[in-house]
Amino acid sequence: MPLRESLNLFAVAAHARTYPRVAWMFRNRTWLIQETLLPLMSVAALAYVYRWMNAPNEYIGIVILGAAMTTFWLNVLWSMGAHLYWERDGGNLELYVMSPAPMMSILAGMAVGGMTTTVVRAVTILIAGMLIFDISFHPTSWWLLLLVFALTMVALYGLGMMFASVFLLFGREAWHTVNLLQEPVYLLTGMNFPLKALGQMTHYAVPAVGLLIPLTAGIDALRQVLFRIDGFLPLWTEIGILAVLGVIFLGLAKFCLDLLERKAKAEGTLTVKWQ
Amino acid sequence: MPEPLRTLRWSTWLGWQIESNWADVRLFLLYLVVKPVCGAMMLVCMFYAAKYAVAAASRPPLPVEYLPYLYVSNACYGLVGCVMFGMSYVVISDRENYRMLKYIFISPAQFQAYFVGRGLARGLEGFVGGGITLAVGLMIPDVRAHLHYSAESLAWLPVFLALGVVMLWACGMILASAVLNMSRSGMFLSEGVAGVVYFLSGVVFPLNVLPKWLQYVGQCLPTTYWLEGMRRAIAGPAPDGSPLADTPLSGYTNVELAGLLLVTTIGLVVVSQWFYRWSLRKAWRNGKLEETTGV
Repeated sequence: MPLRESLNLFAVAAHARTYPRVAWMFRNRTWLIQETLLPLMSVAALAYVYRWMNAPNEYIGIVILGAAMTTFWLNVLWSMGAHLYWERDGGNLELYVMSPAPMMSILAGMAVGGMTTTVVRAVTILIAGMLIFDISFHPTSWWLLLLVFALTMVALYGLGMMFASVFLLFGREAWHTVNLLQEPVYLLTGMNFPLKALGQMTHYAVPAVGLLIPLTAGIDALRQVLFRIDGFLPLWTEIGILAVLGVIFLGLAKFCLDLLERKAKAEGTLTVKWQ
Repeated sequence: MPEPLRTLRWSTWLGWQIESNWADVRLFLLYLVVKPVCGAMMLVCMFYAAKYAVAAASRPPLPVEYLPYLYVSNACYGLVGCVMFGMSYVVISDRENYRMLKYIFISPAQFQAYFVGRGLARGLEGFVGGGITLAVGLMIPDVRAHLHYSAESLAWLPVFLALGVVMLWACGMILASAVLNMSRSGMFLSEGVAGVVYFLSGVVFPLNVLPKWLQYVGQCLPTTYWLEGMRRAIAGPAPDGSPLADTPLSGYTNVELAGLLLVTTIGLVVVSQWFYRWSLRKAWRNGKLEETTGV
């Protein structure tokens, strides 16, 4: 297929997969309450923990930022990682594979659609957190903030695409694996506390391992830019880590998808449901 | 055997199979341990991070008895989250994933008992996870050193556990009923509601830190009394003079606390039964029992 036609097909397929996720935002508005306002309460609970302990105000900011970034992680896990597993059970996966559109375009569409709804969620959490807890963000540079955020998203959704392909081989364990990747990741990435504290309490190797998850460097770098506090590593080192992780995860996603799609076809697991 | 009991028995068995047979026993046990323990460790890290920051800023030191408060409370709350999520997720998985919900509805099985059985399986998982989390907590010196339980306080544990089971059944039924009329996005409802309960019941902070009107809302929830009862049973009462002894619930005796839990739980059961019947009828009339979405 000529390059132009391939690119066009990629864009059309990605757009088609993005559409239901974005359209859903407008058709089923109860999500704004159940997925944005209600989870805000657990964020508030953690913020009140710091308030009760009389911790500096930046710590409440850390919780708010962590909550906003958690929404992206949950989206990557549930709406990217586990989604092909859902699609298989729903009977859509075989249609995707049969269609001429590349699977990467389906994953890209899922990522863009998921990111759109998640951005709304994250911004609502940030604004509500700022208003309720009187937190102010003073970024050292808006461009730097944008760069860190964009790199974090690329690396994070690259990881999500890789999960999606790996989970093609999974049955019900996909659901449980996704479930398992929540609390340990919150701990390892220092989602609600400075990453340095984890190193002080355990060993500096523990947060260093956490740097393999893009969220770790992303959150720590965002904190450095937004709150002007010392991070676990210098800011530009973390930006470099994010860039490298982005390239690695996107490459791995493509490789895994090709390999595992072939393997799933050979083993006949593409259409196996309800395992 | 009466039909509800037979349904309960088989749905509990089914729920346990679904929860546990996806992996070998060792991996499943690891799964049971890792999730709740990591959640608890995150709070421990928050405590120490704040402790260092407070010391660095020369502010008054944190009361050390706050760490066991935080830890025990969070471990017990895991059970609430597990049962609430478990019972509501049954609707989504059985309707959208396995597509069995409509068949269960038209079978002689008792529909509510089916949900309860599936919730019991999750409850068992939560119970084991909570127990392991508490055992791990004993390895943390600052938690172990500030547990003041006694034989008398531990005697209240079965009372609060028994009342808690009824309360969790009612909470789970309310959520499962709501999800009957929602699409797959309803799977996030239980997490959202769990967040509200986490906040208003003072799971990780004493209620007196909240504005007065929110304290009153919190005191209407049975989970608030249940968690206070469980905390007292496992960690003992807060020491005199501690800021933790100055909360809206600290004036109640254990008998009063159990009484308040009983009254609020009865209220919750009545609401849950009415809401279940109303939601089921609505879902049946609107064809929601077999609706699948692909968002």
